[in-house]
This record gives sequence, structure tokens and C-alpha cells, in this order.
Amino acid sequence: MVENNIVNGEILDETTLTLEEFAHACAVERQWVKERVESGMLGDGTHYVSQWRFTSHDLIRARRLRQMEYDFDAVPELAALVADLFEEIERLKGRLRAAGLPFH
Amino acid sequence: MEFKDYYQILGIDRATAIPDIKKAYRKLARKYHPDISKEPDAALRMQEINEAKAVLTDPEKRAAYDQLGEHYRAGQEFRPPPDWDAGFEFSGRNYEDVDLGEFSDFFTDLFSHVGRRSTGSHHRVRGLDRHAKVFIDLRDTYDGATRSVTLHAPQTDPQGHVYLQQHNLKVRIPKGITEGQHIRLAGQGHPGTGGGESGDLYLEIHFTPNPDYRVEGKDVFATLLVAPWEAALGTSLTMPTPSGQVQLKVPKGSQSGRKLRLKGRGIPSSEPGDLYFVLNVVLPPANTDKARQLYESMARDIPFNPRQKR
Repeated sequence: MVENNIVNGEILDETTLTLEEFAHACAVERQWVKERVESGMLGDGTHYVSQWRFTSHDLIRARRLRQMEYDFDAVPELAALVADLFEEIERLKGRLRAAGLPFH
Repeated sequence: MEFKDYYQILGIDRATAIPDIKKAYRKLARKYHPDISKEPDAALRMQEINEAKAVLTDPEKRAAYDQLGEHYRAGQEFRPPPDWDAGFEFSGRNYEDVDLGEFSDFFTDLFSHVGRRSTGSHHRVRGLDRHAKVFIDLRDTYDGATRSVTLHAPQTDPQGHVYLQQHNLKVRIPKGITEGQHIRLAGQGHPGTGGGESGDLYLEIHFTPNPDYRVEGKDVFATLLVAPWEAALGTSLTMPTPSGQVQLKVPKGSQSGRKLRLKGRGIPSSEPGDLYFVLNVVLPPANTDKARQLYESMARDIPFNPRQKR
């Protein structure tokens, strides 16, 4: 991947992550991911494990869930609720930014 | 290297039991959590309290640290004595979970080789993936760019000790990347052990705030300031955009808040975003006799009440 000392990468979302790659990127066991996908906290709700693919959004969300669970001993459902609220705040901040309004 | 007093960092004394350490940690983690904290040094404080928790909630590491730190105070110049950890048993638990690049030299010097030695290097283990945030200019995603990223990567010396080495990586920023997306750099994560391959590096992309443009997904927004007569009568303007100058037609009868859409001039991709100019009508000040006369003439001759419902 190194060419003239410049490293080329690939945009996640143009290529998605498999369960294995995703678990490794989040430094968690595959089972941790499976449990959260099956209970609707992660992923797009696809039923078959072999078809699971993960995006940039999933990566940010899963690392946030893990951090909440690790930092605060939060149960997964509470961590997911906090992540939902963060995402909602980010969405609203994005709309404020687009409207040229300050939010701090 | 300065000695770090992990007890002081968490605001606890040496007799504090693990449940109370976790309580102190959670209180500080809430204050300095990078997602919400507005403290300027939040990232650094979070690193310190994570380190302090990692050491003080692990009975083995805590016992070794307590013995070592007995005669040191926070900030005091410190070198760990050779074989300082002799006589302590380390299980190496959690070592693989820890991204050493996120911890200080102090922590790495003390504890990194401990886990590595006890987990052994004969297992073929893939290196950890790493994560970093990179701020790019909006223009970089229009044209593509090369950015330098500074990383602190753990390296192993011939004695098996791990130390942090800074290295710079020049990364090509692909055209069309948007905020929150990741660039995956294969093999640029932590080195593997026992011949295992290196992990990957994930760069999370953020745009540096731009006074001229705001971004929402792939759409880009800019404010277009116009004079009242330009908005009322319409006009043609040449305006700069991230993809070059454009001729822009302001339709007559425009008001503040009207959006002029330039299709496909947002962030480029197979389905590019749009660029919006949002009109903002700016009134000239009535600070000369002539200007005052013109306003008075408008007030007299134009039947207009902005508060009247149409």
C-alpha cells in the first residue's frame, strides 16, 4: 500500500467490514458484536450473520457503546440509549450548523 | 520522565477499595468524556484517568505500583529501576485490550512489557487495530489531498521491552470523503506478535470549521449576502465555490433564507451532494442624508408592512 512514502487507504462504506474485521476494529469478541446486533443495538437489522456488513457509522457507534460499557459499567441497553442520544444531538447540531446557527 | 501519582489523578487515597476507585473513575470519566466535555484538556485528562483506573483496579499492577511509588511524588523525575517488577506475578489480563498508543510513556515503560512477557510471543497474534481522528479542509475532499498524521506506535526493543516511537505517516485523502467516514489503512496498526500480521489503522475524518462553508452529509451550504435591490430586482453574480467560480442568478423577488441550489456542486462522489447558497439580505445603513431620503421615499411610496399577514 506504500507508494512514494504516501499511504493509500480505502474509504470505509465503499468497502464495508465483515463481522470478523469489525470485532477486531472495535477490540471486542465477535460474540459481543453478535449480541448487540441481535438485540437491535447495532447494524441494519439484517437477519443472516453471513450477510452482516458494518459501516463507518457502525464503527463509531460500537466503539462508543464499548466505551460506555467499559467506563461506566453500563448495561448494553443503557449504553445504546446514550449512543442514540449522542446521535440525535449530532444530527441536530448538524442541522444548526447547516442553518448557520451557533450551538455552544 | 515524570512520576505519575495515579491516586492523586483519581482524587483518592492509597487505602481506597476497588469499588470506590471505580466510583471516583466514573465521576471523572463523566466530566472528561470526549463526547461531551468542553474542558480544553479533556483528552489528556481522560487518558490519565483511564491509565490510573487500568493500574489501580488491577490488584497485581496496583501492588507493584504501590511498592515502586512509595518514595515518589507526582511530577518528580523518575526512571523505573531494572527488574523493578521482580517478585510480582502478572497475569497479562487485559493487555491485548489496551491500545498503548493511547497511554503515556510512564505507563508503557512500567507495564507494557509485563503483559507481553507473560502472554509469551510464541502465539501468532494479529496486532491491534488503531484509531485516530484526522481534521481535513473541505477543499481536500473536493480535490483529494495528502495529509501527515503523527502516531505514537509501540515498538519492541531486543530485550522485549516496549517503548513508544513517534512516526509520521503521509496519507492520501481520497476525493469525496465525508465527515464521520473512515479511511482504513491496511497493516498500519500495531505490530502483531509471533509472526502475526499488523493490525489496521482507521482514520476518522472530520472537517476543520470553515467560516465560508457548512456541511451536512454531502451537501454544502454557504451564505450569500445581497443588497435589498439585488434581492428585489434580481441579479447575476460571480461567486467562489470549493470547486471553482460559478455564475449565480439571484431571482427577482428573493427574500432572506431563500436557498439557491447548485446541483452536484457539493461533495463529489458517484452521487454528488449539492451546494446551497442561502440568501441573507443586508440593509445599507441610513447614515447619510441621501440614504435617509431614499428610505423616507420608500416608506412613503411603497405600501409595505412586514408584520401584515399576506
